Amino acid sequence: MTDPVHAKPDDRTLVRIRGLTTVLSGKTVFDKLDMDIPRGKVTAIMGPSGTGKTTLLKHITGQMRGDVGEVRVDGLNVPELSRDELFELRERIGYLFQNSALLTDFDVFENVAFPLRQHTKLPEVLIRNIVLTKLQAVGLRGAASLTPSELSGGMARRVALARAIVFDPMLILYDEPFVGLDPIALNQVLKLIRTLNETLGITSVLVAHELEAIKQVADHIYLIANGKVVAQGDPKTIADDGSPWTRQFFGGDADGPVPFQYPADDYAQALGFKQGAA
Amino acid sequence: MSAQVGRENVVLQSLAQIGACGLFLLRILAALPRSLRHAGETVRQLWFVGAMSLIIIMTCGLFVGLVLGLQLYYVLAIFGGTSATGSVVALAIYRELGPVVTGLLFAGRAGTSITAEIGLMRATDQIAAMEMMAVDPIAYVAAPRFLAGLIAMPLLCCVFCAMGIFGGHLVGVSWLGVDNGTFWSNMTANVDLWKDVINSVIWKSAAFGAVISLIAVFQGYTTAPTSEGVAYATTRTVVASSIAILALDFVLTAFLM
Repeated sequence: MTDPVHAKPDDRTLVRIRGLTTVLSGKTVFDKLDMDIPRGKVTAIMGPSGTGKTTLLKHITGQMRGDVGEVRVDGLNVPELSRDELFELRERIGYLFQNSALLTDFDVFENVAFPLRQHTKLPEVLIRNIVLTKLQAVGLRGAASLTPSELSGGMARRVALARAIVFDPMLILYDEPFVGLDPIALNQVLKLIRTLNETLGITSVLVAHELEAIKQVADHIYLIANGKVVAQGDPKTIADDGSPWTRQFFGGDADGPVPFQYPADDYAQALGFKQGAA
Repeated sequence: MSAQVGRENVVLQSLAQIGACGLFLLRILAALPRSLRHAGETVRQLWFVGAMSLIIIMTCGLFVGLVLGLQLYYVLAIFGGTSATGSVVALAIYRELGPVVTGLLFAGRAGTSITAEIGLMRATDQIAAMEMMAVDPIAYVAAPRFLAGLIAMPLLCCVFCAMGIFGGHLVGVSWLGVDNGTFWSNMTANVDLWKDVINSVIWKSAAFGAVISLIAVFQGYTTAPTSEGVAYATTRTVVASSIAILALDFVLTAFLM
């Protein structure tokens, strides 16, 4: 009999989501959502603001649980894992927060060393070498003694990336990694994502809105809206699939399937006019 | 009608908060064995909430002792009992003023800083980042601060009491001319080590320390992740801690007397 929690990992798919349904405060965020994240590839998740892209990352890492459905990471059904099993899984996942989430009590070196100190008993010399290697990889070895408040947004993002890869994870989740970055910092982060994927074979999932940046780095794009995947495909061709969703999202139209107006009562009634008076 | 519903809501919300705080205490207690791995963090917090509070505790202790000595001297002089100044100052400080005033100061100085720090960690995703790094924030953030408050409060209370008695001595003996030998001998004759020092100073202040730290950590941990949320949580820490200290003081005094 198959263990419903610990299935045999799929060789090609690292994250498999099936029938995920989530309702938050009465609003259906996901409605029987299906998605596959292939191993060793860079997958981008795009969609209008408020469609639950970050929420989806939280489902993958077990920070949130859906009402119905299956979220499997490397064969493990995340919603059904115990806390210890979840923590074991998270040691193999890197997560880049939108605001970097560096620990403000520590300097750059200690921020990157933090997971190593918490989960290993490595000698100090080895910890130092690993941390310096990771900082060198993101180009910030010289900033090891700076505090988070002394870093620019782009530098903080790169330090957070060094911390996320300190255990050489199988999967990295990037939550809006390009927000607030100048073109130089954006290209640096892009280059790092691509390099990590190509040299270490790390599977990457990006939540972002910057289509031009995504085109440079992603192998596959999912467009989600209304709780479902409304389009998916190659970055170069997804915009040409002809659906109203892709036309509005990639064309940047103000109105379309995603309405300009937030759902509200009748406008005339709200202004105090009787219906039909005009 | 709506006022009554509003009052019921406030009562229900308060009860829900107390219940949630109790459950949070259970989570901290369950995480204590794991938090021993972070002994360095507990020591660091002991420094922040204990050592960094010393100046305010010593200063306030001294002034409480000074004013107490002055007031009691003139009251006792009416009855010709100024020789009892030392013992009355000591009993007032050991039994009530020491633990209660230290608790109120500790809530204002250390409690607020704990709440604001954890609240900002929550608002800037540092707590979520720890969870994502498979580090239990209850064991790494909450439990060390709770332990530090529990350990620091009795020590700070001892310092407060010592400074208070020193203040009473300064006014009574050095300024108003109470005999030095009488001051100390009356004090040692009337202060009971078990009832006045162990029960009143140590146990009471340890209980206050646990309650203040629990409230501070809970408010910080459950704050809304906004600047307004952190401000509200900090205020709630001071208000809830102050009420809890005074209410608990009555209960403990009734049991310990």
